[in-house]
Amino acid sequence: MPNQNASMIEKLKEIMAVDFAVWELSLFLDTHPEERKALEDHNKFVRISYQLKSEFESNYGPLRLDCISPFPYKYINSPWPWEIEY
Amino acid sequence: MNENKRGFHIDMKLAQVYIPMQLYGETFEIKQALRYGTLFPELYRPFPPQNTME
Amino acid sequence: MWYYEKKLQYPANVSKTDLNMAKFLYAQYGGPDSELAAAVRYLTQRYTMPIPQAKALLTDIGTEELAHWEIIGTLIYKLTYGATPEQMKNAGLGDHYSQHDNALYPHDAAGVPFTASYIASSGDPIADLHEDLAAEQKARATYERLITLTNDTGVIAALSFLREREVVHFQRFGEALMLVQEHYQHKHIFY
Repeated sequence: MPNQNASMIEKLKEIMAVDFAVWELSLFLDTHPEERKALEDHNKFVRISYQLKSEFESNYGPLRLDCISPFPYKYINSPWPWEIEY
Repeated sequence: MNENKRGFHIDMKLAQVYIPMQLYGETFEIKQALRYGTLFPELYRPFPPQNTME
Repeated sequence: MWYYEKKLQYPANVSKTDLNMAKFLYAQYGGPDSELAAAVRYLTQRYTMPIPQAKALLTDIGTEELAHWEIIGTLIYKLTYGATPEQMKNAGLGDHYSQHDNALYPHDAAGVPFTASYIASSGDPIADLHEDLAAEQKARATYERLITLTNDTGVIAALSFLREREVVHFQRFGEALMLVQEHYQHKHIFY
């Protein structure tokens, strides 16, 4: 496995945890669209995720092809998910 | 069967499946949730089955 | 449409090469109750769901299953990384190696290639949702068997996560079924 950055992986795991909460809440909201508290929690985690990802991307490069990228196009590099030792 | 519990229909019909709608309640802390695979303690079914909740 | 994010839903690790386990994991990569079958099934059935909750749920769970397919692919990739042809042959992956080298391929644990025959899209939302409930139970049961087939803590952690997701999906599909049944009752459609 290629060389890796321990702090990058820690940040990525934080994002995984927040995004998992967003996802789980989204599924709940699909069948409970009028559950107010769930929606509040969902939106709260969405904001945190956005924050964490902006920070992550400015340090380690784009997570998606529709993110701003430095030159040369950084999306293709940085470890791909199946290459990372978590 | 207690029909009023958790949104069960008052009159259950034959030849029809019923599942209680989940009510929004407690959630795990998010790192723990990711490890378990769910945010919701009432949906957590560990394997192999355990006698006490973690 | 779909966007890809360079991040696994769960951080999947393996402790060491294990070609035997990789072979078993193919059950969930390209088998009848695999994540791929689930994704294709739900993303196909979603078009003819009658209520927004069901359209959303089938879309979202279908999408999540693609992310799970990625996790299984990652586990297989890591478990077979650097394996020699000799090792592949000894683990019963000689057939796979001869056609695919160390690459992945959507087949089941016995090498049977993936087929659309694994899914149904009946056009009857009640029937479809019952199939989805069954699919989640079959996947859950498969994960339980896979967990008992290994001692690798990383693999067990990832499989336990995936198994618990099936439990949650089952609950959601059940809720969607309740909502669809209610929808038809209000429209006075008896069946």
